[in-house]
Amino acid sequence: MSKAKAQELIRTAQREGRTTLSEYEAKQLLAAYDIPVTREILVQQREALTDAVRRIGCPLVLKGCAARIAHKTEKNLVRVDVRSEAEALAIFDELMAAMAGEADAAVLAQEMVSGRRELVVGLTRDPQFGACVMFGLGGIFTEILKDISFRKAPLEPRDALEMMHEIKGRKILEAVRGMPAADTAALARILIQVGAIGLELDSVAEIDLNPVILAGAKPVAVDALVVLK
Amino acid sequence: MGAAVSTTDFERIFHPRNLAIVGVSKEGLGFGAGICNSLRAIGYGGEIYLVNPKGGTWNGQTLYPRVEDIPGRFDLAIIAVAAPAVPAALEACRMKGAAGASIVSSGFKELGTAEGIALEQEILAIARRGIRVIGPNCFGIYCPRSGLTMLPGPDLSRQSGPIGFSSQSGGMAVDFANLGKSMGLQFSKMVSFGNGADLRETELLQYFGEDPETRVVGMYIEGVRDGEAFFQALRATAARKPVIVNKGGLSDAGARAVQSHTASMGGSGRIWPAILRQANAVQVRSMAEMADACQAFTLLPGRVYRNLTVLGGGGALGVAAADAAETCGLSIPPFDDALAGRIDALLPKPGSSPGNPVDVANPFVAPRTLKEIMRLAASDPRIDLQIFNSLIHHYKNMARITGRPVREVTPYLELADDIQAVVAETGKPIVVILFNPKSGMDHLDVVEMFADARRAFVQRGIPVFNTLSEGLRAIGHLNAYYERKRS
Repeated sequence: MSKAKAQELIRTAQREGRTTLSEYEAKQLLAAYDIPVTREILVQQREALTDAVRRIGCPLVLKGCAARIAHKTEKNLVRVDVRSEAEALAIFDELMAAMAGEADAAVLAQEMVSGRRELVVGLTRDPQFGACVMFGLGGIFTEILKDISFRKAPLEPRDALEMMHEIKGRKILEAVRGMPAADTAALARILIQVGAIGLELDSVAEIDLNPVILAGAKPVAVDALVVLK
Repeated sequence: MGAAVSTTDFERIFHPRNLAIVGVSKEGLGFGAGICNSLRAIGYGGEIYLVNPKGGTWNGQTLYPRVEDIPGRFDLAIIAVAAPAVPAALEACRMKGAAGASIVSSGFKELGTAEGIALEQEILAIARRGIRVIGPNCFGIYCPRSGLTMLPGPDLSRQSGPIGFSSQSGGMAVDFANLGKSMGLQFSKMVSFGNGADLRETELLQYFGEDPETRVVGMYIEGVRDGEAFFQALRATAARKPVIVNKGGLSDAGARAVQSHTASMGGSGRIWPAILRQANAVQVRSMAEMADACQAFTLLPGRVYRNLTVLGGGGALGVAAADAAETCGLSIPPFDDALAGRIDALLPKPGSSPGNPVDVANPFVAPRTLKEIMRLAASDPRIDLQIFNSLIHHYKNMARITGRPVREVTPYLELADDIQAVVAETGKPIVVILFNPKSGMDHLDVVEMFADARRAFVQRGIPVFNTLSEGLRAIGHLNAYYERKRS
């Protein structure tokens, strides 16, 4: 893992006076900590899109990406299941138009991770206990059900496994409806590493990885928000 | 944080050879005089030196005008003078070589005034020069072994026991001391530390962790000074002995200025329970639940209990037991036919059922028969704990019919002896549920009999709970702790 790379990403954002990383930067930070993220390419110029679509492969996801926009879904900047280069080009124009005024507006071309189980992993800083990691049901259920658990960093593998066991919806991690049991060791590693980010990178205030999708058994962070102090 | 407390300091603080009470008013009943009365009543054995600037005598005892005038040495001072006079009194006690001082007086940081905060800073500065301070704004220490008490009331028990308890709130401490006495819980040491200017939750937790007299630690917490140090101490202590925590104030106060869902959902109402679980502390939500948990942890052998028998009667016993058990991750497995048959042969007919649960139907089944049933039930190798749901309140009816007092017609002593014998013989603990539906003014004789019965059971090492669900909840705490204990 590369703490230096993560710090460089943070410094860049701070130099630009930003309090959040863009999704693309956030994913790079996570990848630097060995957290599995979607394969993705940031496309700033329209002419680079076709190549990106070919490299990621259809179907794919296109997301409007700008550092100041924290919640893309609410702003209608996410298009899933894009099936052709032509469709991608049209969506590119649409997303860029919707982000007019954002200096760093770009489109993130992202592999479409297929999986029906969405989880959330996060980091918060408690005023008493410092960096705390969250785990729970992801996607829209995060806010609706608040089926979540917390542990203070650093996490031992046992803590991470207990967090998974503690949520009411824990059965989602088991083999259900033809889907395989989740790779809990990989999930535990994500939780432990998010805790490590909290301990090692003081300027990271909050993290949301939502959703973390189970692609088969393997968890992948599909969207990421990193808030800086 | 002050320097780490040496065991010697704590030894002198909890078992002081002599005491000084600074601030004993001659008129009325101030804190100082009240504490002196309590100490005499509980039978504290050392010298108690009293200080009052006016001198003279009080109840035949010399009042020394100044701490400096005290002729002998003392290990612990109790300071009850007005807040502005506290720093000078504390410094004088330090100069006299006292190991600690409990400052009962209020009028410090809790006021939120500049003067109060400055006075508390002065106290802390003196403490750092070499005297440990409990308080200010607290009730201080109760230690049955040394006959040391500063809690209001002269009637606390002298019986020392396994529970160490610390509390920010003085009211919680005095209530718990009294509740404990009523329930038969026994304390090693109890400390109400109020503002906690010097000694507070984390050091006391570490001390209780080391203290061989303390087997179970209880804490009432509102806030901690250093979350990291507290967490480390909590985890280390819980790895050695059970720590039961009642955290007051768990509501998620106020929206915080955060951007992520994680931070918006991570208020103290979520983080505190997580921290306690991570450290393998037992979280309770009331002092009654704390008392139940203390009883389970002190009277039941420390292990995980899975399969129970339930024996007794009462409204929908089987259904209620099954529901409560499931909530706590316990099960009540049915007996096989052979065992059920042997139990059935002992039961009155009709209306009984050999279970498990065993419904005896008739509340007047003789203890010797109940004893036989409990022995048989324990022979099921799956069973690791038995619950006896008592129906002794029905003996009030028998008392009325026979014209004899309910205490005489209720065979609770025999029952207590029998249960104790079955536990000894089978190695499987029995928990008694003493639910009294007859507790009104017309049944004060039943209330009294229940208190007597409770004492009889607890004295024999048999835990008693008021209701089945409270008992099972306490057992659930025990299970959770021993399942997760880090070895």
